[in-house]
Amino acid sequence: MAQSYEVFLGCAIPSRFNNYESSMRAVAKELGIELIDFEGASCCGTVVLKSIDETSWLSMSGRNIALAESRGHQIVTPCNGCFGSLKDVYHVLHENESQRKRVNDILKPLGLKYTGASKVRHFVEVLYDVREQIAEKITHPLDGLKIAYHPGCHILRPSEVAGFDDPELPHKIDELLELTGAKSVPWGLKLRCCGSPLLIASEKTALQILKEKMISAHEAGANCVVTNCPACHTQFDIQALGLKDDSGQSLELPALFVTQVLGAAMGIDGTKLGVELNRVSLDPIRGLLGL
Amino acid sequence: MTMSESWGTLKSFEGRKFEALDKEFTQEVSALLGGQDLTACFQCAKCSAGCPVSDKVNVQVHQLMRMLLFGLKEVLDTDMVWLCTTCYTCQERCPQGIDITDIIFGLKNMAFKKRITPPGYIAARKSLYDVGRLYEATEWERDDLGLDPVPALDTTQTRKMLDKTGLMKLEEGE
Repeated sequence: MAQSYEVFLGCAIPSRFNNYESSMRAVAKELGIELIDFEGASCCGTVVLKSIDETSWLSMSGRNIALAESRGHQIVTPCNGCFGSLKDVYHVLHENESQRKRVNDILKPLGLKYTGASKVRHFVEVLYDVREQIAEKITHPLDGLKIAYHPGCHILRPSEVAGFDDPELPHKIDELLELTGAKSVPWGLKLRCCGSPLLIASEKTALQILKEKMISAHEAGANCVVTNCPACHTQFDIQALGLKDDSGQSLELPALFVTQVLGAAMGIDGTKLGVELNRVSLDPIRGLLGL
Repeated sequence: MTMSESWGTLKSFEGRKFEALDKEFTQEVSALLGGQDLTACFQCAKCSAGCPVSDKVNVQVHQLMRMLLFGLKEVLDTDMVWLCTTCYTCQERCPQGIDITDIIFGLKNMAFKKRITPPGYIAARKSLYDVGRLYEATEWERDDLGLDPVPALDTTQTRKMLDKTGLMKLEEGE
């Protein structure tokens, strides 16, 4: 039976990375995954609202979960931030009875209630489920593509909440990417945070972290960075523009979304994958991608 | 960092004298989401060993944990509070199972109430309250890619909820 989900886009993807949504929809279509529009969604609140006021954050994400619940749908999101936030709130409301009661009191005037019936998944988690189907659809192998895959934090940690992959030795999405013939290279700082959440507090510190990450990816011999998160992608495809190491060497690397890599290997047209919107030039790997 | 910053003002422990230990503060932090195991910390510093900002802050995360056990409210003035990237590496690896990152979120809530915050968070709060989102959709990109408009949000609903939680009136003394 075809899988069906309400797709929670969040704020960052429609604002900065419409190529991620477009490539996600193209890949989902190929695989028969039905994505239903998430009517009435607000921001998930993300780590920003959790930092300001946890009750508001629990209510904000609690409302989003309850909306999908009221329509009898499961939730999928392509954003690590939304995944982390929605799943964390789901976890708190599931485990903590007094918080659940408190949030449901707040949601009551809106005609909504959290019970936990709508579970939250990441889009790449759904892709991993159908990896055999993906393997059959690879028509344009990406031999020679050396990927520094960056999982991002909130899809892995805290593992008690995320429940997706091994938090210290993740392998699932690497497996998916390697179905295309590409190589997911081991790199020293692979599991290190990208620094993106610090852009709001200290851009300088965020850039220092990014610099360390990029040096590590270059040292590993990668010819691109691949992510499944718009917040991380902001670092790799926007903040990294013009970034140099101390000797003046460029630290840029083409930055792609998991869905763009899989889409290219499945022979999906580059326009649908939105590659014109990738900011760091894809020229060094355009031939390998067949785009 | 400019002089006008309200956060991260505790630069060093050198020559610093602290108020008497405040047991109530430790209890207050223990009552936060994730704070229940706070007092199990035995200072192994594994949290700081894996922390991406350990080499970039004045006060590291294991020191922040020590300050909490000592009941030192000055912890809210450390840069570690707002420079925590929320990566959860410390929490994942803590041998005592302490929800360190979640505790730091609670400290951020406490600091915000005292107006100790990077200004970006004040702007983000306004945006979340006013439009229910942090960023607006880029319509021309969506048109070019043939994407449908982002489903509409009725902000009277989210505002009603955030009025109830008091999001815009968190600051103490207001």
